[in-house]
Amino acid sequence: MRTSTVKALGTFLLLFVAVYLLPAFVSDFRAQQFAYVGIYLLALVGLNVLTGFTGQISLGHGAFMAVGGYTTAILMADHGVKDIWTIPIAAGVAGAAGFLFGIPALRLSGIYLALATFAIAVATPAVIKKFEGFTGGGSGINLFGTPELTASLTPVHVLGFELNFNNWLYYLSWTVALVGYVLAWLLLRGRTGRAFRAVRDSETAAVSSGVSLARYKTLAFGVSAAYAGAAGALFAIATTFVNPDTFPVALSIILLVGVAVGGLGSLVGLVAGAIFIQFLPLWAQNVSKSAGAPAVVYGAILILVMFVLPTGFAGLLARLGSLTTRGYHRPNDS
Amino acid sequence: MTRKLGLTCLALAATLVLGVTAAFAGLARGAEDPGVTPTSILLGGTSPLSGSASAYASVARGADAYFKYVNAKGGVLGRTISYKIVDDGYNPAQSVQVTRQLVEQEKVFAVFNSLGTEQNLAVRDYLNASKVPQLFVASGATTFGRDYGKYPYTIAFQPSYQAEGWVYGKYLARTAPGAKVAVLFQNDDYGKDLLNGLKKGIQRSAVKVIAAQPYEVTASDVGSQVAKLKASGADTFAIFATPKFAIQSFVFANKLGWQPKRVINNAVSSASNIMQLAAEGGTNKVVNGAISIVFLKDPTDPQWKSDAAMKLYGQIMKKYAAGANVNDVYHVYGMAVAWTTVEALKKAGKDLSRASLLKAVDNLNASGNPFLLPGIALKTSGQDHFPIEQMLLQRWQKGSWNSFGGLWGYRAA
Amino acid sequence: MTDFFQQVVSGLASGGVYGSLALALVLIHRATGVINFAQGEMAAFSTYILWTLTTNHGWPYWPAFAATLAVSFAGGVGIHQAVIRPVERGSQIRVVIVTIGLLLLINGSMTWIWSGEVRSVKSPFPTRTVDIGGVAISLQDIGTIAVSLAAVLVLWVFFRFTKVGLAMRAAAVNPAEARLVGVRVTWMLGLGWGLAAVLGAVAGMLTAPSVFLDPTMMQAILIYAFAAAVLGGIDSPIGAVVGGLLLGVGLNLIGSYVDFVGADLRLPAALLVILVVLLLKPAGIFGKPHVRKV
Repeated sequence: MRTSTVKALGTFLLLFVAVYLLPAFVSDFRAQQFAYVGIYLLALVGLNVLTGFTGQISLGHGAFMAVGGYTTAILMADHGVKDIWTIPIAAGVAGAAGFLFGIPALRLSGIYLALATFAIAVATPAVIKKFEGFTGGGSGINLFGTPELTASLTPVHVLGFELNFNNWLYYLSWTVALVGYVLAWLLLRGRTGRAFRAVRDSETAAVSSGVSLARYKTLAFGVSAAYAGAAGALFAIATTFVNPDTFPVALSIILLVGVAVGGLGSLVGLVAGAIFIQFLPLWAQNVSKSAGAPAVVYGAILILVMFVLPTGFAGLLARLGSLTTRGYHRPNDS
Repeated sequence: MTRKLGLTCLALAATLVLGVTAAFAGLARGAEDPGVTPTSILLGGTSPLSGSASAYASVARGADAYFKYVNAKGGVLGRTISYKIVDDGYNPAQSVQVTRQLVEQEKVFAVFNSLGTEQNLAVRDYLNASKVPQLFVASGATTFGRDYGKYPYTIAFQPSYQAEGWVYGKYLARTAPGAKVAVLFQNDDYGKDLLNGLKKGIQRSAVKVIAAQPYEVTASDVGSQVAKLKASGADTFAIFATPKFAIQSFVFANKLGWQPKRVINNAVSSASNIMQLAAEGGTNKVVNGAISIVFLKDPTDPQWKSDAAMKLYGQIMKKYAAGANVNDVYHVYGMAVAWTTVEALKKAGKDLSRASLLKAVDNLNASGNPFLLPGIALKTSGQDHFPIEQMLLQRWQKGSWNSFGGLWGYRAA
Repeated sequence: MTDFFQQVVSGLASGGVYGSLALALVLIHRATGVINFAQGEMAAFSTYILWTLTTNHGWPYWPAFAATLAVSFAGGVGIHQAVIRPVERGSQIRVVIVTIGLLLLINGSMTWIWSGEVRSVKSPFPTRTVDIGGVAISLQDIGTIAVSLAAVLVLWVFFRFTKVGLAMRAAAVNPAEARLVGVRVTWMLGLGWGLAAVLGAVAGMLTAPSVFLDPTMMQAILIYAFAAAVLGGIDSPIGAVVGGLLLGVGLNLIGSYVDFVGADLRLPAALLVILVVLLLKPAGIFGKPHVRKV
């Protein structure tokens, strides 16, 4: 096996162990918060495939999360599908939506694509509300206590362990997130990944080398939307409630923030990105409770992070790494 | 190539350390029911401290000030009340997360005075399943009182929006037969509840709703809707909106040269400071004669100038909420609901538990709430889980509200 | 029929506001290639400055107006130099995130400093309404439209006939070569941001008397301004204002006469405009197509 594969496997093993051991050290409630970190990680991995690796900016991935979330909620509430089985379906539906969006989006790039995806994110709550016969409108769909939702009322038994709702959410989210992480890693290290990076680095050069822009851009959209859909499904399961306001514009924005902070074009920093977007708003509230102050803190830190860590947390890791080794090192492209 | 491995170890270690240190938070376990000790009670609630509804944060602030006042006088049966207010930014997904935090991390005795219809709907199932009282929901959505059977841990407080709309309807039916009503309503449960109540109130009368225009909370302005309503030829304009849009309704009606014979403005948007803004320094005549309902004492209403309760209100605000706007009637609401809570706690007795609190709250019979209008009773029992169902009609004249007529009462059918 | 004209008139008035803010967006994009997501919040903040000067400090309207413009200009230049300059030549995503950070920061400060309460702001125009054939036209609305058109005119004259305007255009089109001929490029970019901030302030101060001031005042308007800018051509000032007027009228008419759209889908309708224009003619009505040279 190549050394890069060995190191990646080692990395992953460590992450795997840390994730599965964490709940033993933290309170129940913290486990639930970390479940959301896992959900965000899943969405960020997908978004990074599109933005970091293929160079397409999206300010609309909250909308794909909404597609996934509502698919799950409707399947559970109206069709009696068990929560776990809705996750792949939600990913599929959202992926299809992403793929379909990718087709007209081929004509857009850079800031125009950002605006178009932003438009979708802003429109989503209103559109969800409009089709209320289907989506439950403004009152939303409640999932808590329904038989399709595992563990919300009574603990569930998995592999000989008894898990209450919070721990169940944690393990479910992180299992899906880690599976998604591995799948993305496999996708990105192969031909597809190289094609994505070619599109990102220079569309003209890519086309001249025979890389089909149409195929890879729409694929990137579809894949990233599928990830967002799965994250949305998990989000609906964890929050036990969906309504148009649970997937606001702010969600799309913080997903892009998470990817930028974690590090574009790298999977490793995304865990930090997910932690950032889950916990920073809460920490900001600890700084000051007076109305408006947490937003000021959040905005200021966001700007600072963009200044200080231009390549995100992954860049920081890379720089730390170059301090601890001497001698020649090859720039890595993953 | 071990460099990359080492880096990732670093990252993971950092993550783990973060998680573990973050875990060393959390309160010590209480007595039987969480959040209550022989000397203290911990209440918690969500409030829109940030975001588009931050004007309603005064509801929580007023309640908090009142509790501090009560604590200074020795608390309730020897216990001081702590009220933890957390921000949900008016986003229901956020409300779910922070409410769970209140229950599972802060271990509150009861969730109290959380604001918003959808925000409370999002957590109602969870709180009832966890057997945590969802006390005095700050929303007039009918479902909170009506669905008591399914949600015994949830109780409302203010008159329901349907009840309010019904009162307007009955008033029109009685005093303006044949009136043609044009309604501007917010396109959510809040606005729709009011509209439905109005329609119920005018049933079997000659009053008709001939035009109804919704608007979204995200709208920039309601000018287009008001123009359409004017064009309907109605003689009565009903405004079922939140403050900013209610003010705009008056202003746009004026700009368009529309002087409807009657204007109804719902309670949430009828505070004096809001009406003053709508009056545009006296140039806006549409506000004159506007009708609304009221169940609280408005701090700017001259008739309460020498009222002992409102003097107390002023003192409490000065001491415990210095810097806040004393004229904001939502502070009075907060104190009214806090007063009610104190009464319920007293009734629940020294042996305080969630069960005893609920029993007290389900059998309320308190009058003399100093912040409510005289004569309004707080009553719940058996089938009736709407604590306040009475209200007075008031008319805006010469720059202030003047209540008229007797108390209107509504019985949820 | 009077209803139709009424909707057109009020649509022109709101369109004037969208156009003014769109003008600010276009200016910044032309000068620095950045889409400033914080433009609306900057405009709202400027309006708060006007409010606090006239209400809390008792200044008369016009001096307060002028002071607000001056402060907005300084603020715009300052924000560019301090916050945008370090990142404007890097990745586009970084710049987007920074302007979003600004959006959050400025929005939060408004709530922090002035609270979420609704405020009233005086109008520079008399509040009288003129009735023409059953259609009520307020002088405020006429004033708003006039100011928007005047702003475009002034900007056009500035860019076409003044040395500074020429320098700004040069700096935007080709910074390296502009430097070679002595243009102080960084200052030109800052100037662009300053002017845009002034335009935004004007948009805010024009709309506040009707819609009333609170921290969320410009949030929806920003979206409409994006739509207007895209419709008219993201690099065309005249396009921004024309786009705004078209959008204002169009949305009012669609909202009033197409039942399915009504009020609930008004915002998505505007966004559909963005999508359709971007897909069919990304350069907008007045823009020049972007040709990519290989």
